[in-house]
Amino acid sequence: MILPVGAMQRTNAEKVGTETYDAVVVGSGIAGAIIASELGKNGKRVLVLEAGEAAGSTLNGYQDYLTRYFATAYKDNQSPYPVNPDVPMPRSTDARKITSGIPVTSGYLVQNGPFGTDTTYTRVFAGTSMHWEAKTPRMLPSDFRMQDDFGIGKNWPIDYASLNDYYEKAERELGVSSDVAVQQDPKLDLKFRPGYDYPMHSIPLSYLDKVVDCGIRGTSVELFGETFELSVRSFPQARNGVPNSAYDNGKGFVPAGAVDTVQSEMGGRCQGNNNCVPICPVQAKYHAGKTLAKALQNPDVHILTQSVASKVVIDENGRVRHIEVKRYHRPSTPEFSTLIVTGKVYVLCTNAIENARLMLASGLQSRNGLVGRNLMDHAYLLSWALMPQDCGTMRGTNCTGGIVNLRNGRFRAHQAAFAADIHNDGWGWAVGSPLYDIRLAVDQQNLFGAELRKELVRRVNRQLLLAFMIDVLPDENNRVSVDPRYQDDLGNMRPVISYTPPEYTMRGAAYARQLAGLVFQRLGAADYTAYDPEDYGYITYEGEGYIIRGGNHLAGTHIMGSSADRSVVNENQRSWEHENLYLVGGGSMPTIGTSNISLTIAALCYKSSEAILKEF
Amino acid sequence: MPNNPITSIQELHDHLYVAMQLEHATIPPYLLALYTIHPDTNPEATRIMRTVVVEEMLHLTLAANILNAVGGTPDLTSPNFVPEYPASLPDGETDFTVSLRPFSCAALDTFLNIERPKKAPTPDKRMIHKGTRRLAFSLQHPGDPKQELAYYSIGEFYEAIAEGLKALGSGGSGSSLFCGDPKKQVGPQYYYSGGASLIEVTNLETALTAISTIIEQGEGFDKGVFNEEGELSHDYRFEQLKFGRYYLAKNAEGKPDTPGHPTGPELKVDWDEVYPTKVNAKLSDYTDYPELSAAAVNFNREYFCFLRLLTKAYNGWPNLLLTDAVPKMFFLRNLMLQLIHVPMPGMTGYNAAPTFEMPSEDITCPGG
Repeated sequence: MILPVGAMQRTNAEKVGTETYDAVVVGSGIAGAIIASELGKNGKRVLVLEAGEAAGSTLNGYQDYLTRYFATAYKDNQSPYPVNPDVPMPRSTDARKITSGIPVTSGYLVQNGPFGTDTTYTRVFAGTSMHWEAKTPRMLPSDFRMQDDFGIGKNWPIDYASLNDYYEKAERELGVSSDVAVQQDPKLDLKFRPGYDYPMHSIPLSYLDKVVDCGIRGTSVELFGETFELSVRSFPQARNGVPNSAYDNGKGFVPAGAVDTVQSEMGGRCQGNNNCVPICPVQAKYHAGKTLAKALQNPDVHILTQSVASKVVIDENGRVRHIEVKRYHRPSTPEFSTLIVTGKVYVLCTNAIENARLMLASGLQSRNGLVGRNLMDHAYLLSWALMPQDCGTMRGTNCTGGIVNLRNGRFRAHQAAFAADIHNDGWGWAVGSPLYDIRLAVDQQNLFGAELRKELVRRVNRQLLLAFMIDVLPDENNRVSVDPRYQDDLGNMRPVISYTPPEYTMRGAAYARQLAGLVFQRLGAADYTAYDPEDYGYITYEGEGYIIRGGNHLAGTHIMGSSADRSVVNENQRSWEHENLYLVGGGSMPTIGTSNISLTIAALCYKSSEAILKEF
Repeated sequence: MPNNPITSIQELHDHLYVAMQLEHATIPPYLLALYTIHPDTNPEATRIMRTVVVEEMLHLTLAANILNAVGGTPDLTSPNFVPEYPASLPDGETDFTVSLRPFSCAALDTFLNIERPKKAPTPDKRMIHKGTRRLAFSLQHPGDPKQELAYYSIGEFYEAIAEGLKALGSGGSGSSLFCGDPKKQVGPQYYYSGGASLIEVTNLETALTAISTIIEQGEGFDKGVFNEEGELSHDYRFEQLKFGRYYLAKNAEGKPDTPGHPTGPELKVDWDEVYPTKVNAKLSDYTDYPELSAAAVNFNREYFCFLRLLTKAYNGWPNLLLTDAVPKMFFLRNLMLQLIHVPMPGMTGYNAAPTFEMPSEDITCPGG
């Protein structure tokens, strides 16, 4: 993907204030990139504001990310991305156990608790798509009508069928590898247009997936009178695989390679490097830079980096008059200039936390007070075991298959559904393998040299980690707010998070733990799962302790609905109160089901782009 | 067609076999140059070397597809398929040989010679008679070892194949030329790069498209810096390393850069960040060092087994490219790095290197 030379410099701090753009897009992640690309393609003048630096827009910049990642001992989601005090990011390492009533303020997120989350997002060029895992399942039809079908949660103002075309566009743009036949399951009820298939074929299941599948086939579970047969199925993923020659009526599909100003031939297919999160070394994994490169082919699309949107200013009619932007001079120092940018339409594409934070910091909480409320993030429960045989664990990608049979069923009226990932990177997420295993082998077994190497392979080779991604329902008490006491170096108010996983979710978690036990038993695997009460994510439910991890699937802070009373945006993600303002992204989702949210965000952006184009 | 040496199916098969041999012959020197670059240094040079070597793999497969299409049998395991380096692939102006060298100016000069576009002054000059001073590249004729083929340049060699295909593939009997089993064609799903793609060859048209892909991506042959798809040919890719600057498809004047005048961003090359491998290392260099010797022998055997795997893939089992060849290429890289990272005992300033000497005896490969 060629990002034209000079495209990043089409405007600057001096020029940007002198014109009125058709659209000002805040954020260059998946949402911002798609909106900018769609508007630019239709002849609109677009300004994209990005808080991070331009660094990741070239192959050399990307290479620097990789080098930093490989050189860093603690490889969390943000490890490839330089620390920028002007644009701070939450890190999983910031999470602390919260004592009731005393907020934890040491990280970027101010956490009120009671639950301490380690959720993260990435504030750089191309946004969180730089560290995402790139799993791209569609939401299920029932996820859009939770209230109608199960009497809980909220209904969407739109249904699955009306999103289908947009899902197809999103799957093309993100380059999704899967096969419709693999995703068919009567219980999931996923419908595809007749004749449709994904742009690329499924990423093959790992050997570990196959061993687990073999072990659990024939096992079924009963839940609220319904029987579920267990099996392992491959996940749709936005990473380059084998193109489907039948795609698009036989036209086939050309995968998008790496982004650079001069090199158009780099960027591979998935090679199984197994560090998908936080960065794919060959850009086989989609990131929004690929869409931005496309958007910037159009000379009327401008981007201004190092520019933090700080205030949405409205006029007497409630329309956005302009956005105040703090443009820092250097990431290492807090000096900045304030710029005013104006457009006919404004589109906030940061993420559920930052969109809400910006609105609240601008004093725009909406009349119904719903901005920032209903914060959702998939709850992850981990269970880990040692398999009785070698399984080739640590051969990537991070996750290829999982148990998805319990994503839907009548039980959802009572407890949360989930999808279980089989992790190809062993116990890494749970205990920090393989470093954890090295420590044990050295400290407890006194091994070194060849014996240490052998022992490490022996241990890791058999590791199985099941990560249950559990549905979370909207709850107004789970929320983002701001507090002038907590500001970043540029004087922007930091997000304050109050959050606890709902009981509905914990019932699902308790069941997930039982199911893990059953799966391990069928596999003859030894369960090593232990939940430390001192851990920040520790929660007790009905007398049992669990650890819940954040999913980085942030949603729900400006939910869409069919009336201005009970929602913040309409079905096109346009603000009910501010006619020329769109709040775009996970924040608009009234429920999240058991689907990683990015594909749905992308689909919604195509829908919103059509609506925005009608404004002109 | 004056002077066209391809007048029979056998001659066409022989030429296509030589085409595979030729495309493959560039892979060991390019790979070695790529892998001698110190890790995490020279990212731009690494990317250029990698792009070119991956495209040579595409060309090898395209040549196999054409050979299969006209009823031939690709065989990468026959004796002398892998040349002995320094190998004689002279381009005509000067007698130069291709060596297995670390990434260096000298290596780059050779690569530029390999990829340099050269058109014969007139069509009747395409073939060079052996013994003339302006000897073009010359490879042994597999059908008749006594006869040698000599062409003015690689481009002229492929032009001759194209004309042979046209001559044999048109007219009344022409339809029978493309009699190969279509199941042996390696389809586009097996190759991915931002550049060109694999073409299944089933008729004259697809055969000619495959040839023009090889020519355009390779030495360019009479084109500008960029082809119609906006892709750089290999010689200009390499030139960028020499100039320390990228060519732009769309420069400040909105036009593609012209040869010799790249106007793109600066491209830094640190020629010192390279493992100084011994040029054209041979197994005999390792006689006194059993560990190095074992590693070098092992690599050669594994490389030979890989060629055997490719041969099978090109003969009706294309899926092996995905299931077996891809992991094997990572494995081969690791075996090469093992040698490249080791200083040669007793030869201060030199590192070991893979020798690419194929085993002369019949060996057993894992998996048969």
